[in-house]
Amino acid sequence: MLKLGKPSMQAAIPIDSRAATTLQYIRASMDAAASVAVPGSTGTGMGLVGLIATALTVSPALHPYWLSIWVGSAVVAAALGAILLARQSSQRGLRLIGTPIRKLLLCLLPSLFAGGVITGALWSAGNLHAIPGTWLLLYGCALISASVTTTRTIGVLGGAFTLLGVLALLLPDSLQIFMLGAGFGGLHLLFGFLIGRMGHGRQV
Amino acid sequence: MAAKSSVHAEPAASPRKRAKLAPVPGLPHNKDDVAFDRLVYERVRLGIMSALAVRDELTFNELKALFEVSDGNLSAHARKLEEAKYLSCTKSFEARRPRTVYRLTALGKSALNRYLDHVEAVIKATRRG
Repeated sequence: MLKLGKPSMQAAIPIDSRAATTLQYIRASMDAAASVAVPGSTGTGMGLVGLIATALTVSPALHPYWLSIWVGSAVVAAALGAILLARQSSQRGLRLIGTPIRKLLLCLLPSLFAGGVITGALWSAGNLHAIPGTWLLLYGCALISASVTTTRTIGVLGGAFTLLGVLALLLPDSLQIFMLGAGFGGLHLLFGFLIGRMGHGRQV
Repeated sequence: MAAKSSVHAEPAASPRKRAKLAPVPGLPHNKDDVAFDRLVYERVRLGIMSALAVRDELTFNELKALFEVSDGNLSAHARKLEEAKYLSCTKSFEARRPRTVYRLTALGKSALNRYLDHVEAVIKATRRG
């Protein structure tokens, strides 16, 4: 004698589920095509420059020249970051021209420009104490803006820089160099490692 | 004995039923849209069209990096889209290396826009019901 059980009730599949996943796929493809893949090596390289600058400016002999050393390090780190980004793109057969890189620069440059202007104003007014916190804060803002054309990871990095900047503005003079090292050295290295592990952080 | 002829008149649909059965505006109704729908049923082709919608052009290697497919796979998908005249392909040399650049044609852009309208219409209609 056959025992007939109750027919199993399967969960209903919404009729628009394929349309919704199709739209999601289209959006993801468009986002990926319009974004810039930032390699982990960029963060690692810039982080190393930050650590070297920290080591130099912590020494008593070079400490009076901390502003010049860090401005010089910023230029070196920016150039190194650009070279590593260009090299990585070239190795993958990608071009670093067109809409994505234009958007990235448009997101980064305003905050960095503001940082430069405020640095000049603070230096003229003799208020050097506020410079490290301002740099960390505005660099963080630049990265948060840039996350629109890159990845969420860059946005998180930007958030961390911003918090560090606020903290630096509240701390005494003796800790400012260490805050710069923690940010431009430590955070860059950490996120460079994380992005490298995720595969350029590309999220498609 | 004469066969009974039973012609039953269909009862008139209630207004609510007529609204439910009304055709969804924006659904494909011509053969071009149906052909496009069949073509982009394959995800990689839909991805290629979508990526080119936001970029003026993309090279073969850029598309390959975006979708992580093999050379042969990408070539086959791109050729199908080219044959349907949705993509244009330009081959040249750059420092003695071959360079293949793809662009969306005007036909491809309008077909993709209509497809997006269709997909959104389906979602809207289903959620309204």
